[in-house]
Amino acid sequence: MAALPAQLLQAVVATPVATGLLLIAGRRLPRALGDWIALAGFVLPAALAPWLLLTWTDLSIPPEAFRSGGPWGFGLSLNGFSAPLLAMTSIVGLAAGIKAMTQDVEARHAYLGLLLFMLGGTLGVFATDHVVGFYFFHEFALIPTFILTLFWGGEGRRPAAMQMAIYLTVGAMASLAGILLAVDAAGLDWAGATFEGVADALLAKGAPRAAGALTLFGLGTLASLFPFHSWAASGYSAAPTPAAMLHAGALKKFGLYGLALLGLTSLRVTEGALGGWLLWLALGNTVLIGLVCLTQVDLKRLVSWSSVAHMGPVFLGLWVAGARGSASGLDAAVLLMTAHGLSCAALFLLSNDVRVRAGSYRFEEMGGLASRAPVLAAMFVAASMASLGLPGFGNFWGEIGVFLSLRAEPLWIQALAASTVVITAVYTLRAVAAAFFGPESAALARRAEAAPFGDIGWTSRLAAGLLLAALVAVGFMPSLVTDSTNRVSADVVKYARPAAKTPSAR
Amino acid sequence: MSAGIDLAFKSLAPRASDWAAILPELGVAALSLFALLQAMVVPARLRWLIPATARAGLVLVAVMAVTGDGGVVRPADEALFGGLLRHNLPMAGVRLVFLSSALLTSLMAGRFLAARGAGLADYHHVLLVVTAAFMLLVQSDHFVPFFVSLETAAVGLYVLVGYLRRSEASLEAGVKFLVAGGLSSAFLLMGMVLVYGTLGGPGAGDSLSFPAIARALAAGKGTVLTLAGAAMIVGGAAFKLGAFPFHSWIPDVYQGAPTPTTAYLATASKAAGALSLLLLVTGPFAPLAAKVAPALAGLALLTLLAGNLAALATADIKRALALSGVSHAGFLLAAITAAVARTDAEAFSYPAENVVVLYLLAYVAGTFLTLHSLSAVPAREDHERPFISLRGLIRRSPAATAGLCFGVGSLAGVPPSVGFVTKLLVLALLVKAGLWWVLGAALVGVAISIHYYFGILREAVSRPGEDREDAAPLEVGAVSRFIIGALSLSTLAAGVLILL
Repeated sequence: MAALPAQLLQAVVATPVATGLLLIAGRRLPRALGDWIALAGFVLPAALAPWLLLTWTDLSIPPEAFRSGGPWGFGLSLNGFSAPLLAMTSIVGLAAGIKAMTQDVEARHAYLGLLLFMLGGTLGVFATDHVVGFYFFHEFALIPTFILTLFWGGEGRRPAAMQMAIYLTVGAMASLAGILLAVDAAGLDWAGATFEGVADALLAKGAPRAAGALTLFGLGTLASLFPFHSWAASGYSAAPTPAAMLHAGALKKFGLYGLALLGLTSLRVTEGALGGWLLWLALGNTVLIGLVCLTQVDLKRLVSWSSVAHMGPVFLGLWVAGARGSASGLDAAVLLMTAHGLSCAALFLLSNDVRVRAGSYRFEEMGGLASRAPVLAAMFVAASMASLGLPGFGNFWGEIGVFLSLRAEPLWIQALAASTVVITAVYTLRAVAAAFFGPESAALARRAEAAPFGDIGWTSRLAAGLLLAALVAVGFMPSLVTDSTNRVSADVVKYARPAAKTPSAR
Repeated sequence: MSAGIDLAFKSLAPRASDWAAILPELGVAALSLFALLQAMVVPARLRWLIPATARAGLVLVAVMAVTGDGGVVRPADEALFGGLLRHNLPMAGVRLVFLSSALLTSLMAGRFLAARGAGLADYHHVLLVVTAAFMLLVQSDHFVPFFVSLETAAVGLYVLVGYLRRSEASLEAGVKFLVAGGLSSAFLLMGMVLVYGTLGGPGAGDSLSFPAIARALAAGKGTVLTLAGAAMIVGGAAFKLGAFPFHSWIPDVYQGAPTPTTAYLATASKAAGALSLLLLVTGPFAPLAAKVAPALAGLALLTLLAGNLAALATADIKRALALSGVSHAGFLLAAITAAVARTDAEAFSYPAENVVVLYLLAYVAGTFLTLHSLSAVPAREDHERPFISLRGLIRRSPAATAGLCFGVGSLAGVPPSVGFVTKLLVLALLVKAGLWWVLGAALVGVAISIHYYFGILREAVSRPGEDREDAAPLEVGAVSRFIIGALSLSTLAAGVLILL
């Protein structure tokens, strides 16, 4: 009999999957009953996972209390990195679920059911420490993502889905090959192939370099590392809003999480030439994709591109942790992953509310929306400020942490890294100004005349409010996340730079 | 002298245990004769009995095969029928591959043939003969039963491919298959002659027997001609498997053949090719491993790339699946190569030959699931099924779409399907055997394959435009629903079972 936290962890993963299955099997259930089932699937994880994070940081409870075996040969468990990401995913999932339930779509039960599958798979990624298990859950979440995009997606969904399928499959295959090579080099059996088991086994032997390269570029593709990012913006833009929230906010963190726990420890992806590649490509995300964001004329595409650009600082945090042994850089990266998931989901959510009112995502057809929808404007501004790293929101601690951990680097690296703050401020503020302030556009006035619209309803306020509240909570109490990550970061850095080496190679 | 002949006859005289060892094959052969008998005596309105008894019989034989070789327990390496047969492979799984292929083909053929006014009894008779022949083929330990069962199966398959006599496409495919198959048989025979001729001689024993060939080769008796013979024999098996460069017959024949026959060719015939190749390269030609392994690795690499790249360029579902079958042959070849390159290669504690069998079982499930789901969609001509004909399927029949997703997903190797798990096993074998180039080709192949697999699914799943007129709901019968559901479930559950 597993301990209570372990059982709750099982429930967090099993509830969305089970309710999703119920909805898809029961296509002809009455609409109200289906909605209640879906609500249960979205709410329960969001109630349990944050509690699990708090319990995890309570040092009097041993980590074994969170561990349970599984019938498929790998168990569920929690670690310091996955606990905050699990909580973040559950909140993003609830917000996405609320959004989805307010939408009027064809085949509603199937839509909600697939979204629940996606949520269940994403939660599963962060609920196991088995190196093949977490990969398995990621793929389990990707399949519904494609179906959601193809059937319920918006303009350009067919080419976007194809592009996404090819990129993500290549990335997944490469990372799987890397993982398998690592497990093989470690000489472990199926049950022993956990993050820790592989890292321990490879500490002395070292892993084949091919495994490191495959994993870095494979997982990098999944996390939209420059230049393997081009699937991301079109994929998110074409996906229905709840799917984009879950994918860009939560599911994409799979790649970063894998790099942190597997790439830095067992495979040493920051060593030697690979490390140099990671640094340069991360700067590519930060600067070049930031510049791409400046040219966007469509709100949803801007949000999509900016979520690619914001991976830059996270990659930099991972790099500095591995290459320079900076535990604080790793802490900051995980904190930023958590906060970015929330802020990015909020932006996708509210952008859709803008579109419902303006009838388009194009900036030229917006303008002056604030006077008609002040709450929407306020929430959008708040989410934008969070995303550009204003103090008070979680992203601030993440970004400032990464920049501080880079302070021993040459000035130009610091400057390029910090330029993200300026670039983000420019495009974010421009977007906010174009959508909400200034004179009302003619198109908007015509729409308002034809079909008067008001501010966002309570469901949207609730969904966005949840995300913003979580962001503010992390902003004022970053220890919510760092208490959990601190212990692991220190360990990971030890693995990444075995004690035998001198503190600084260069 | 006569005493010697006497002794030889005695050693060849079958024992009761020999017959017991091939009880499942005897059962299938009996079912095949029974189908003919029924055709003679059963009145027209009871014709449905013929496929029904065949299916029930196949299920019974499958149970018998899986629960323990007809109740007789014997050491695996015991020679049967005086050394003509030997159970070198895990027979329960191997028999299951052929029996399940035959059963699923029969289930598919029922409605298909009835709709085209073609006879069911003859089809089942030939199908069962071919199945029994394949099952004997993979137990061969001697080139005589090997060739006889291979030819029995081949002749039956010519009939099955050209079965729709009123369809030009079917007849054309039949002729193409006959010519290509005849050529490969000729090569095979020539190879056997060369091996027999170079290794035989006074006191050399029976140099058509696999163990004798292996002993002779290990003793260094082979010449260049022996090598050429071995290459020809391996080529003949590679033809059955559909490996590069012996794959060119596949797209045309698969596309033209009646869809149930296509399914059978894609599964049972490919399985026979893979298993007999495995049998040959780990049996009689095992001493040549140092030469065979690199050649097979090259074949595997080229097959993986050729199949996937060719499939990329087609917009016809049957053709795309045929060419994807070539890439699956590449995966099978890769596993066989690993078995030759490193005899103790294991993937997650499965030896290489078990990996091949598991891969085949997964492939059978995925192929039949895909084709069963596709057969719910009406097509003007059986041999013309463009991707576009699937557009909007999700609205017309969610069940068929779900089946297609599971089937194609499993063929593509999307986790958590059984197709993914078996691909994983093959990749792990390649890692163990250190075949990095083949591993790279396999990964590249999977990446390419996503384009056409996903292309099929994209048509089926995409929300169609509103102006479609032929978007009437499709009726999927209860039996089809059951088959699709059961196969979908098995593609999900089997993956988990394998990893346990």
